Amino acid sequence: MMKKIIKLKGAIALLAVMTFISCDLEDADSLNGLSADAISSNLSRAELSQAVAGILSDMRVGLATQIDVQSIFGREYYFFTGSDPRFEADVVTANLDNNTFYTTTPWNARYANVRNINTVLEGLANTTADFSTAEIAGIRGFLNTMIAHEFLMLHNNQFSNGIRLDVADFDNLGPFLNETEALTAIFNLLDQAATDLAGAGDAFPFTLSSGFSGFDTPSGFLQFNRGLTARVEAYRENYPNVLALLGDSFMDMTGDLTTGVFHTFSLTGADLANPLFIALNQAAIVRVAHSSYIDDALPGDTRLGKVVLRDMPVDFSDLIGTHDVFIYQSNVDNVPIMRNEELILLAAEANMMSNPAAAVSAINVIRNAAGLADYAGGMTAAELEDEILFQRRYSLFGESHRWIDTRRFGRLAELPNDRATDNVPMAVPVPFNENQ
Amino acid sequence: MKRTLRSVPFTLLFFVLPMMAFAQGTVSGVVTDANNLPLPGATVVVKGTSNGVSTDFDGNYSITVASFPATLQFSSLGYATKEIEVSSASTVDVSLEESATGLEEVVITGLATSVKRSNAANAVATVSAAELAEVTPPQTLDGALSGKVVGTLINSNSGSPGGGFSVRLRGLTSIFGNNQPLYIVDGVYISNISVASSGLNAVSAAAGGGNASSQDNATNRIADLNPNDIASVEILKGASGAAIYGSRGAAGVIIITTKKGKQGKTKVNFSQTIGFNQIIRAQGVRNFTEDNVGAADLAAFIAARDSGNLVDYEDEIFGNEGFISNTSLSLSGGNDKTSFYAGFSREGEDGIVQNTGIDRSNIRLNIDHRFNDNIKIGLSSNYINSSADRGFFNNDNSGTTIGVALTATRPWDNLFPDANGNFPDHPNNASNPLQTIALMTNNERVNRFIIGGNLDATLFRTDNQSLKFVGRAGTDFFSQVATVIFPQELQFQRIDQGGVNGVSAVTTTNNRNANYAGFLVHNYRTENNLSFTTQVGLTNEQFSQNTVGVITTDLIGSQTNIDQGANNTTNQFRLEQEDFGFFAQEEFNYQDKILATIGIRGDKSTNNGDANEFFYYPKGSLAVNLHNFDFWNGDSFLNRLKPRFAYGEAGTFAVFGSLFTLLNSTLIDGSVGVVAPGTRGNPAIQPERNRELELGFDAGFFNDRLGLTFTYYNKEADDFLINAQVPGSSGFVATQRNGGSFRNRGLEISLNANIYDKEDFSWGATFNWFRNRSEVTRLDVPTFNLGGFGNSLGQFQIEEGQSVTQIVGTTGPGTPVTQLGDTEPDFQLTWQNDLRYKDFTLSFLWHWKQGGDNINLTQLLSDFGGTSADFDDFDFDPNINNGTFRINNGLFAGNAAPFVEDASYLRLREVGLKYSIPSETLENWFGDAVDNIGIGVSGRNLINIFDYNSYDPEVSNFGGNGLSQGVEVTPFPSSKRFLFTVSAQF
Repeated sequence: MMKKIIKLKGAIALLAVMTFISCDLEDADSLNGLSADAISSNLSRAELSQAVAGILSDMRVGLATQIDVQSIFGREYYFFTGSDPRFEADVVTANLDNNTFYTTTPWNARYANVRNINTVLEGLANTTADFSTAEIAGIRGFLNTMIAHEFLMLHNNQFSNGIRLDVADFDNLGPFLNETEALTAIFNLLDQAATDLAGAGDAFPFTLSSGFSGFDTPSGFLQFNRGLTARVEAYRENYPNVLALLGDSFMDMTGDLTTGVFHTFSLTGADLANPLFIALNQAAIVRVAHSSYIDDALPGDTRLGKVVLRDMPVDFSDLIGTHDVFIYQSNVDNVPIMRNEELILLAAEANMMSNPAAAVSAINVIRNAAGLADYAGGMTAAELEDEILFQRRYSLFGESHRWIDTRRFGRLAELPNDRATDNVPMAVPVPFNENQ
Repeated sequence: MKRTLRSVPFTLLFFVLPMMAFAQGTVSGVVTDANNLPLPGATVVVKGTSNGVSTDFDGNYSITVASFPATLQFSSLGYATKEIEVSSASTVDVSLEESATGLEEVVITGLATSVKRSNAANAVATVSAAELAEVTPPQTLDGALSGKVVGTLINSNSGSPGGGFSVRLRGLTSIFGNNQPLYIVDGVYISNISVASSGLNAVSAAAGGGNASSQDNATNRIADLNPNDIASVEILKGASGAAIYGSRGAAGVIIITTKKGKQGKTKVNFSQTIGFNQIIRAQGVRNFTEDNVGAADLAAFIAARDSGNLVDYEDEIFGNEGFISNTSLSLSGGNDKTSFYAGFSREGEDGIVQNTGIDRSNIRLNIDHRFNDNIKIGLSSNYINSSADRGFFNNDNSGTTIGVALTATRPWDNLFPDANGNFPDHPNNASNPLQTIALMTNNERVNRFIIGGNLDATLFRTDNQSLKFVGRAGTDFFSQVATVIFPQELQFQRIDQGGVNGVSAVTTTNNRNANYAGFLVHNYRTENNLSFTTQVGLTNEQFSQNTVGVITTDLIGSQTNIDQGANNTTNQFRLEQEDFGFFAQEEFNYQDKILATIGIRGDKSTNNGDANEFFYYPKGSLAVNLHNFDFWNGDSFLNRLKPRFAYGEAGTFAVFGSLFTLLNSTLIDGSVGVVAPGTRGNPAIQPERNRELELGFDAGFFNDRLGLTFTYYNKEADDFLINAQVPGSSGFVATQRNGGSFRNRGLEISLNANIYDKEDFSWGATFNWFRNRSEVTRLDVPTFNLGGFGNSLGQFQIEEGQSVTQIVGTTGPGTPVTQLGDTEPDFQLTWQNDLRYKDFTLSFLWHWKQGGDNINLTQLLSDFGGTSADFDDFDFDPNINNGTFRINNGLFAGNAAPFVEDASYLRLREVGLKYSIPSETLENWFGDAVDNIGIGVSGRNLINIFDYNSYDPEVSNFGGNGLSQGVEVTPFPSSKRFLFTVSAQF
């Protein structure tokens, strides 16, 4: 009896196992998107265009947080939202958390785009597509200019806390470079890109967004690259080089101040809306100019048009706003990456010590455009510095310059604090997750 | 799979040798219950053999006994088993008593077998139909389990009609993987997913800030089941019980059995409930005076005050009473071959916020058929149609949710519509909550079929052994259409207010689960009553989800079709997974004295890096019924003692798609682009493994008048899945990996007492006390945060040596991050009482949760709006009022401590008083037509005692999602329910 049972059980088990082994499962597919390896292992022409569109698109991610936080630090405007009181607390008091959105959002967004660019660079190295040498140079020149731009944005926030530049291998991230080393590396990237762009023929093998209109050929894009390099050199106080670079850039003393390179927006599909647009006279979510922007303005300055008097002032935790920031009039308006106005101001800055007259003539281009009379102040470098910073403050209002400008000229202490609790930080902390 | 089902039974026939049985005599008789009514379907077995029969429609049985004397065992579900010795062929009539202790009920211990509770080695919790839904009609199944199961933490995430619950069995099972139990209804793996509705986040921008998860609390789909159809719920709380479910069992398994028909006269049950709900606790309005109203608003305040126009907007929004109506009708009956249960129900409940509510219709048909003594089939089918309007609550970054809008609304703001129905703009906020309530739509509509079938075929049977085949197949299909409409006239949708001129979104989900299984169960019994039950089986589960969302903005007039607008955004998510497993188990039973089980489950799945790699989950258990040994003194006050021990392992799958690094799509200037995702995939990801050891004993005192169950468990989650945060400079935010271990240890003590039991009066009570403690024992990645809004507002932190559910934050500028609380309760205690006096029954359930903290940010947002009710009180500092303290000394000082609050509560979860009209009276009134009429009044959450500074400490902004339970941001407040029920049985 027992034997039979054992036999029976054995047979059942055997059957089960046999049936089981014959039932194979197929490995799963990635159902919901293109695998990242597709690009890095071998970049095709079609993928290139989509990857470039991805890079231009991702430049805009986190933009509002980055600009709002820098504008609050620079006491250009306040951003208040009833939904997150930290814009009237941490960001204004400079009691910054290394693990929350105002620290991590810009950091992660910029590095995500660095990842996009590095993926394409890797794909370019492995490509078997029929790209010509000039096309490859063009792609590389474009990508290195963009990666340098993203690093510069990171540097602006992180400054003395440093950033990593060698991040191509995500498992072995490079060291943190201090502000001097970082700027040098960014400069070198831009210079290398310029060399590539110079040998890139007449056209890119991809299209750029309309925000790059006029700058969408290798030679046009090179002008943007030179302008960006001039900004970096000004940050490094290499003023003679700034002037040389501006000469190769799209700077035009008599041209439209708004000529330049822009982020574009739309409401279509997965596109983004301009995150910096808020309608006038809102109550819960507002961008209101710091009172000093109105108080310090010269009479007749048309740049005051960037703010609009509110029907009712707003008061968030004793921070009061009487004027809405109204730089962007709709949720599809372009946001500048770099404009002619900044380049002219860089020319003034580069000349203020070596050639005050040239500096003043550049300043006057800006003043006149704003409806102000020619500069009549002193001609010392210090006086010109005051004037240039003043003009930069009004010309580049809300474009993330004032905090960086006051920092590089050692003038952060001059920025106003409206409450006893308030402070201006020197830099954004290194995110917690960097394990520093 | 199909091949198995078809071929195995036939092949087996070759192994089966017909056994000759020598008829020595026949015993026959009638089995009845205590009221002398026949008991159909009762089992009669010759003890020590597997020779058994069932009673027929009239309770008659006839069994052939091989040799006399023999002991006949008479049993029927819910009745105490009786043994009678017979010495010759004769007539034996037996009357069975209803079981008072539940020891006779069966609990499921294998995929195809079950044992009597008295022989179980696991602390399996069971909730009967009476406990589940009869005291007071519940809204959802998971809500109905609250407070009734030792070792569970059931949290209502939102008061929005239609549910939204999370169920944690013995602590948190997984941090990033699934931590909700597997639900199985009549053998069908059913889906409990929640699908976020597109369009809500587009307006609230909740995920745009510090926490990228969707925060709109979609319904979890277990809410579709009708609690009235459920006969019993069995809960396998940890891996030791749930190892048989392998890779899906780690978070526990909730096995639901629906009602079946019984042989006998067709019974009709009808019940109608009506009632209402109301907010559990309103927070109140700040006491505004000329001194605390800001200068800018003073004139408006005085004008409103003097004209008597100060409005309590909390009352205006949450002060409604929602009407509740539940109608249910069931028919059940059958003959000796076929029985059926048919249930129809319609439930309607309005929310405490206008234009919210749920309607749910359920149709069920369960049929069981017996071809002959050897082959039985069963079919259960359920169709559900539900529609829930859920309002617009929780966190936002746009000032648009109703909850956030309320925090900015002062009594003098005029938000009411004019005579033409035009709402004014909110003077202090981006949205007018009254307008939002009146005009917006957030609806989830579900059509769902759950169908399961099983075949039970005895292939052969002899005196001492039997072999049967059990086949099971089931599918759960639902289609959910979520409609979100924000019309263009809403304040925040108007172009002049920076809006997008209306949003309409449709999210369609088709979800299908299918499971197939086949088992062979062999019973063998030796002459000295040692029995072996062997089962082997194969299982196959398939899961498929396809969610398509379309969001349209800039709508044409009042049109809401998604093609009636300027801009479309679409998204799609697909999930396909197939698991394949085998299962083998051996159970030993020595004379009901020593009970042991060993078993193993092997699983492979397309969700693993190697789809054909097996993961094995073993189990083993031992229980000893000391009181069944001869040495036990049967007259002792301790009449029953069963020490037990169980060990098992079970798994949790990585989130679908964890294997891949998938590029996201984007668009700029009309060109499609691809961008790197935030999370880097990991092709080497493995399921996480839970190892649970459970020790305990069951004891009965004074002839089981008092029952005590004591259980200790130690649950280790090994290689737990983490969405590990990586340095952002890598270009990724996180990566999936197996990254450490944590454990849950706990105690569960259950005491039930039959305090008084006489004909006119009886009183039974159950106390459950339980606690759980967790600790991260190994962490392969640096300490990381998750699940809140940053250190200055409190968040969760996974840190070696600390509780998994600790809440951390900073306490001042530049201070280190420290532990501020823990969502884990110190303990929970529930007290269930059932009293009967003549024809009245009174039942009530108290639920005390002691400890456990929440992160309460509703309060903070109200402070910023200047509207919190306790703004001017002095609880923190004698010189600084609460509102100012929380802002200046809390948030501005980087001090999260004021936001972490004790979330203890004591609730009267359920109370019900029922009167059954005496049967004599019924006979006078209706003759034989009506069997029973009951009238009852009942309520849920009628008494709530808590110190917590908001609507309800049971809340979760992030839903049941992972760890982040207990974060509160302006939720839909929970409600209490008052109900009146009339029921009749014909």
